Amino acid sequence: MYSSNDQSEMENDDDGDITTELWQEACWTVISSYFDEKGLVRQQLDSFDEFIQMSVQRIVEDSRPIELQAQSQYTASSKDVPYKCTIKFEQIYLSKPIHRADEGTVYLWPNEARLRNLTYAAPLYVDLKRTIQRDNDPAGEKKLDKVHIGDIPIMLRSAYCLLSEMTDRDLTELNECPLDPGGYFIINGSEKVLIAQEKMATNTVYVFSMKDSKYAYKCEVRSVLENSSRPTSTLWVNLMAKGAQGGKKSAIGQPIIGILPYIKREIPIMIVFRALGHVSDRDVLEHIIYDFDDMEMMEKVKPSLDEAFVIQDDKLALDFIGARGSNAGVPREKRIRYAKDILQKEMLPHIGITQHCETKKVYFLGYMVNRLLSAALGRRELDDRDHLGNKRLDLAGPLLSFLFRGLFKRLIKYITAAGQKAVNRSRDVGEWVVRSDIITQGLKYSLATGNWGDQKKAHQARAGVSQVLNRLTYASTLSHLRRVNSPIGRDGKLAKPRQLHNTLWGMICPAETPEGHAVGLVKNLALMAYISVGSQPQPILEFLEEWSTENMEEITPSSIRTAAKIFVNGCWIGIHRDPDQLMNTLRRLRRQCDIIVNEVSMVREIREREIRIYSDAGRICRPLMIVEKQKLLLKQRHVDLLKEREYTNFGWQNLVAEGVVEFIDCLEEETSMIAMVPEDLKPKGESPYCSTYTHCEIHPSMILGVCASIVPFPDHNQSPRNTYQSAMGKQAMGVYITNFHIRMDTLAHVLFYPQKPLAATRAMEYLRFRELPAGINAIVAIATYTGYNQEDSIILNWSSVDRGFFRSVFWRSYREAESSQGDQHKETIEKPQRTSCAGMRNAIYDKLDDDGIISPGVRVSGDDVLIGKTVTLQDTEDDLNSKTKKFLKKDASVFMRASETGIVDQVLLSINDEGYKFVKIKVRTLKIPQIGDKFASRHGQKGTCGILYRMEDMPFTAEGITPDLIINPHAIPSRMTIGHLIECLQSKVAANKGEIGDATPFNDNVNVKHMSEMLHEYGYHLRGNEVMYNGMTGRKLNCQIFLGPTYYQRLKHMVDDKIHSRARGPVQILNRQPMEGRSRDGGLRFGEMERDCQISHGAAQFLKERLFEVSDPYRVHVCNICGLLAVANLAEKTYNCKGCTNTTQISQVRLPYACKLLFQELMAMNIAPRMMVD
Amino acid sequence: MASMNNIRTRIKLEDTEILHTTSTNFPGNYSGYDDRLNLDEFRQNLQVQITSLDDTTSEFDLIGIDAAIANAFRRILIAELPSMAIEKVHVTENSSVLPDDVLAHRLGLIPLRADPTLFIDKVAADTKEREDDTLIFKLKVACKKNPKAPTDGDDPKKLYINSNVYTEHMEWIPIGNQITKFKPEDIGPVFPDILIVKLRPGQEVDLKLVCHKGIGRDHAKFSPVCTGSYRLMPEIILKKPIYDEDAEHLQKCFTPGVIELEQDNDGHRRAVVSKPRLDMCSREALRYPAFKDSVELNKIRDHFIFSIESVGALRPDQLFIDSIKLLMSKCDRLLQEIDGNINN
Repeated sequence: MYSSNDQSEMENDDDGDITTELWQEACWTVISSYFDEKGLVRQQLDSFDEFIQMSVQRIVEDSRPIELQAQSQYTASSKDVPYKCTIKFEQIYLSKPIHRADEGTVYLWPNEARLRNLTYAAPLYVDLKRTIQRDNDPAGEKKLDKVHIGDIPIMLRSAYCLLSEMTDRDLTELNECPLDPGGYFIINGSEKVLIAQEKMATNTVYVFSMKDSKYAYKCEVRSVLENSSRPTSTLWVNLMAKGAQGGKKSAIGQPIIGILPYIKREIPIMIVFRALGHVSDRDVLEHIIYDFDDMEMMEKVKPSLDEAFVIQDDKLALDFIGARGSNAGVPREKRIRYAKDILQKEMLPHIGITQHCETKKVYFLGYMVNRLLSAALGRRELDDRDHLGNKRLDLAGPLLSFLFRGLFKRLIKYITAAGQKAVNRSRDVGEWVVRSDIITQGLKYSLATGNWGDQKKAHQARAGVSQVLNRLTYASTLSHLRRVNSPIGRDGKLAKPRQLHNTLWGMICPAETPEGHAVGLVKNLALMAYISVGSQPQPILEFLEEWSTENMEEITPSSIRTAAKIFVNGCWIGIHRDPDQLMNTLRRLRRQCDIIVNEVSMVREIREREIRIYSDAGRICRPLMIVEKQKLLLKQRHVDLLKEREYTNFGWQNLVAEGVVEFIDCLEEETSMIAMVPEDLKPKGESPYCSTYTHCEIHPSMILGVCASIVPFPDHNQSPRNTYQSAMGKQAMGVYITNFHIRMDTLAHVLFYPQKPLAATRAMEYLRFRELPAGINAIVAIATYTGYNQEDSIILNWSSVDRGFFRSVFWRSYREAESSQGDQHKETIEKPQRTSCAGMRNAIYDKLDDDGIISPGVRVSGDDVLIGKTVTLQDTEDDLNSKTKKFLKKDASVFMRASETGIVDQVLLSINDEGYKFVKIKVRTLKIPQIGDKFASRHGQKGTCGILYRMEDMPFTAEGITPDLIINPHAIPSRMTIGHLIECLQSKVAANKGEIGDATPFNDNVNVKHMSEMLHEYGYHLRGNEVMYNGMTGRKLNCQIFLGPTYYQRLKHMVDDKIHSRARGPVQILNRQPMEGRSRDGGLRFGEMERDCQISHGAAQFLKERLFEVSDPYRVHVCNICGLLAVANLAEKTYNCKGCTNTTQISQVRLPYACKLLFQELMAMNIAPRMMVD
Repeated sequence: MASMNNIRTRIKLEDTEILHTTSTNFPGNYSGYDDRLNLDEFRQNLQVQITSLDDTTSEFDLIGIDAAIANAFRRILIAELPSMAIEKVHVTENSSVLPDDVLAHRLGLIPLRADPTLFIDKVAADTKEREDDTLIFKLKVACKKNPKAPTDGDDPKKLYINSNVYTEHMEWIPIGNQITKFKPEDIGPVFPDILIVKLRPGQEVDLKLVCHKGIGRDHAKFSPVCTGSYRLMPEIILKKPIYDEDAEHLQKCFTPGVIELEQDNDGHRRAVVSKPRLDMCSREALRYPAFKDSVELNKIRDHFIFSIESVGALRPDQLFIDSIKLLMSKCDRLLQEIDGNINN
C-alpha cells in the first residue's frame, strides 16, 4: 500500500499516517477532489437547486386554499347553500427551459438565449384541486393537472439547466464553453449574477453596550419565523443608563425596559413578564436568575421590580401594554386582546405564534434579561456585530424564495379576484383564472434590473442584487460569481464593518476588496468557503428529545443552573444534564452523516453552559481535516484512493462520509483548536504550544479568494499590493471564455498570444488560469534606461510588439430591433433614403446593404452607419396643410461610436421574443500596444507605456537577449513588492528548467536560497543579475541589471479609448452649455478650482472667455424701464416691452444662456428678476 | 603604468559594478600614448577569427575595433539589412477561428527564402505587382472530414484532412519573368512546418500573400537575423595560486570548463584558467572573501565575440559582409555630403 522510508517519524505506530514529505502532495490531492466535486460556483448552484427542489414546493403548499363563495345578493332564496368553490395548490412540476415560437415550443439552449436576447426560463406547473359545492349537492372534486403558473429563470449548470450533466464534447457542440462555470441567469440575453447579500443572523440574542445613549446596555433579538414572508420583528430588552430617566424616576436606579413590536413606548420588563402570566416576583426572578444566591444580579433586577410594583396582575399588565399600542381610545377588553395578540403573534415569533407558547417565551425573555445583566455585570463578553458567525449570506435560493413568495401571493390575490367574479356569475372556475405572467414578469423584472422586490415599490427595494456578469476576463467572471455584498450605506463613516475581522480567516478573502467607497463592504469568498443551504431542524429536535433533553415545559427553573441550555437555530428548546456526552454523540452523528446533515454546526460554550445548534441557510463554512489524539484522520490510504479517483470513484464526498474532513462554520471554529500544518500535531509533552488539537487546516493558501490566488508569492508582498492586484486582475485581457467568437458581448477584449505563467500558484489549477490565461511571460529588466520609464511608466520593445507582444483584438457589439405601436409609430430596419427620410445625418449611408444592415468585412470608422432604421412620422395638421408632404419617415439608425474604427466582424439577424426583426452587429478592432497603454505585473505594479524602442536600441545581454519590457527600479523599494522579484527569479529558473515554477504562498520549501542555487547551476548569476550592453552605444552598462521573465498583464485602459479634445461641438439642449463626456464629444470642464486659480491671478478677460464666450454666450434685450426681457425683432429692428409699452428704451445685454434660463424659470414662479441697466 | 594600460584595454567586473566601460583612448587623452588613428596600425591589429559557421548561425571573434563600430554592425544587422516578408494579405475566404488581422499578422512573421538583393524596394504609391519588387504566394486550404478516419480516435490530424495549415501549403505564384529568373527551390518559406492556423471541417482559408522587400526598422519581420549580438572576451586572472579544496570551489564558481585543475609537482591540485571564453560571467567568485583578492575578472575591451543567428534567407557570413558594405556606403555618403557642403 504505502511504504514509509522515513524512520524519523515521531512515533512508529505505522497506521498509514501521511509523512511530512508527502503532506504537500496529499493536501493538494484533497483540495483537488474538493474542487472536482464542488467547482467554484457551487454555492450558487446548491442554493438555486435548493430553491427549485424545496422552497418552491413549500411556498406553494403552504399557501392557504382559496375559498370562493358566491355573494348572496344574486341568489334568490336564502335557503340554498351558495355556490362554493375551493382551490388548493398541490404538486408542482418544473419543465426544462423552453422558448415559445410561432412554430411551437422548443427547448431553449443557453447560447441561443444569449444571442437572441431571450430569457432562459422554464415553465412551472402546479396541480390544482378544485372542490365545488353547488345547490346542496355533495362536494364535487376535480383536479386541474399541471396548470402553467409562470416561468422561472433557470440558473446555468444547475440541476434544471439543459447543460447539467453534459460532457465537454456535447457542450462544445452546443457552442457552449466547457470551462464556463454557470451559476448565473440569462435574462433578455444578458447574463445576470445574484450577488450574495450579507445580513445579520436572525433569532440570535445580541447584547451591546451603548455610549451616550439613554440605555447602558441593549439586548436585542431579531426574530423571524423561518419560511415566511413576515418582516422581522425585533425585541429589545434594555438596561437604562444611570440617571437617564429624565428626572422623574431617578430614585429607582437602572430599571430594565422592553421594546415590543408595534408598542410605541418602552414597557418595564416586569410588566411583560406579568402580562405573560408570571405575576409573582419570585416566579419572574426564577426565570431570570437561575441561581438565587447570586446577590449581585438580584441587586441589578431590583430597580425593575420596584418600577413595576404598581402592576401586580396579568390583566392590568396587558392593559398597560395595550394602552401603549397603536390605537388609543378603545375599550379595555379590546386593549387586552390587542396586547395578547401582540404577545402571541408579534413578540418572538420564532418561538411560536400559536397559543400556549407563553412558557417558552417567558423562559426566552428571562434568558435575554439574564444575558443583559451578565453583560452589565461584566461576566459575559459583549457580542460583536462584525463577527462573521453573526452574519448570514442570502444567496440566489433565499433571494428568489423571497421574490417568489411575494409574487405567488399576488397571483393568489389575482386568482381570488378573478375566481370571485366567476363564482358570482355562477361560471365555472377553470384554468383560465390563473395568469402566468405575474410570476414570469415579476421574476424577470427583479433579475433584469436588480431591484429586489415589487416593481411598484421600486424605491424601497434593494438595488444591485442582480448584476450583469463581468466577462472581461475569466478570473473576473469567477470572482463576480463569488462576490458578497454588505448592504450598509456606502457613505457611512463607521470603519468597523469594513475592517478585516479575525473570523474572516478561511471564509472571505483578506485581499480582494475594492478600493474607495465600498472598501470592506464588498467582499469575496475564499476558495474553499462553502455556504450552507439550510436543512429542516425537525430531525435534530427529534433526536434531542430522544436523547433525554428536558423540554421547557417539563423543567423547573431551578434545574437550569446545573444543566446546559440547548438552542436550536436560536430557539431555546430545553436543557440537558450531560452536555459532554450529548456533544460527542451529535458530533459523531454528523461525521457519519447520520440524522444530522454535515453542514449543521454545533457549538458548545462550556463556560456559559450552552449548546447551540444551527441548521439554517447562509452560514459560511469551510472544510477542515479532523484531528483525533493529535493525529490526522486522513491517512495515506485515502490519498492513494483520491489520486485514482477516476477509477475508484472515491471523491470528496467519501472523505466527508468517512469523517475525515468536516465543514466548520465561524461559530464552531471558535470552539475548535485548529493546527496550521500537520507538523504542529505533536503528542502531549512534545508540543510546545498545544496538545488538544481538534482540526487541521487543509492548506493555508485557501484563505485567499479567486483574484488573490493569481498573485505569485503573495506572502512576500505588502498587503495592499495584493489588494491592488486583486482589483487589477479583473481588468487584464486574456481569453475570457473559449466560445468568444460565437458570443456577441457588448465589449470583449482577447489577447493574441496569451501564455500560462511560468511562476504559478497551485490554486490556479482550479481557476483554470492555465487554460484561459490573461497575460504574457515578458522578459523584464529592472533598469533605468534613457529615462522613459520614470514615474511608473514602462519601456516596451517595439520589435516584440511587431512580433505580437500584447496585441489584442477588441470587439464591440451594437444591436437594434424593430418595434411598432400601431401604425402611428412603426420602426423599420431599412436603408434610409434622403428623399423620404427626415433627420438624416451627414454620414455615408451607402455602406449599408439593401436590407439596411451593413455587411461583414466592411471597414467602418467613426459615425458610420451600421444599422439603418426609420420611424414613421406622425401626421400632424401642419403637415397636411403644406402642399408637398416631403418626409414620411425619420432616421433612427445606429451609428458607430465616434471615436472608434474597425471592421464589421459578424452580423446576426434574428427574431426577438416579441417576434420583431432583431439585429446584432459585432465590430472588430485590432489594438496594438502604444504609448499610453496600461500594463501591470501581478503585484499591483501598474504602469503605462512611456516609449517603444526597437530591438537594436534595447540593452542586450551576453547571450543577445533583449528585454520585452523595462520597468524602473524606483517602483520597488517603497512598495515592498518582494514577490515581484521572487517571481522573476522563480520564472528564470522555471524557464531554464523547462517546467512551471511553484509560487504558492505559505510554502517554505520554495525559497530564494533554493532558487538561487538552481539558477547558478544553469550558469547564471545566482540572484538573477546580468551584465548588459547599451544598445545605442554598444558599451557595457555600468551596473548589472536584474533580468528575467515576469508575468505581465495588459489592462483594458488604452489611450485610444481615452484621447479627447474639442474645439467646437454639441451643446446641451436645456442650457446650451457644452456636453459632458468624451462619448458625446463634450468639453473639458473648467471647474471651481480652475476658476479660483484664475481669479487669484486676476485674469478677468481669460475667465470671461472660459466661462462665457466658449460656453453659452447669449444676448437678450431688456427694457430699461422695468428691467425685464423685451421682445426684439432684429430683422425689422423693432423692440418692444409689452408691459411698459416701451419701444425705444431697450438695451442689449450679453449674458450666459443658463442665466437667461434661470430668469425665465424664476418668472414662471412669479419672481421677477429685473436687470436694471444704466 | 600597468593600471593605466588596464583602464585603456580592460573592463573590470566588480561584485556589484562594472568599471571603465567607456573607451577613453581618444587622441591626447593619455600622455605617452599615440592614439591618433593610424590605418596601417588598425589593419595590423584587426583580426577576424571564425569559431563556428553554418547555414543559420555563426560565431566569430572581432578583435581590434572599438565598440562603436562593432555596435554599428550589430544594429545594421538587426535593423537595416533588407529581406523579403509577406506585407499584404488579400483575404478571399477566412472561416477559421482566427480573425483576418491575427492571421495576417501571423503570416507576416513567416521567414521567407528569397534573396533580397534580387529585388528592389517597393514604391509606396505603386499598386501594381511588379516582378522585380513583389513575390506572390497562394494559400488555399479547406478542411474536410477524413472518410477513412478511425471512428474511435479523437486526434484531429487523423479525423480530418488539412486540420493544420502549415507553411508547406503556401504555393508560389511567379509573376512576369520570375519563372525563369528563380528556381522553385529558391523561393518559399524557410521552414515547411510552421503552423499557421488550425481548421475544422467546413472551414477554409483562401488567401493571396503579397511579399515585399523591407528593413527591420520598419517592422521586425523584415529583420534578416533572429538576433545579432556580441559579448566581450572575458579575462580571468588568478593573482595568487589557488590549491585543492579552494580550487575546486573556484571551479564551481565558473561555467564548467573555464577553470581546470592541474596536478602540481608537490601533489597539490592547482586551479588554472583554461577556457575563459566559455565563462558566462556570473561573477559568483567575487561573492566569497577568500577569492576576492586572488581573482580578478576583466573583459578585453576590443575583443568582441560576435554571434549572428540568421532567420534563414541568407547565410550569416553573407549578412555580416552585407552589413560592412552598408556601413561603408553610409560612410561614403557622409563623405560625399561633407564634400558637397564644402563645395557650396
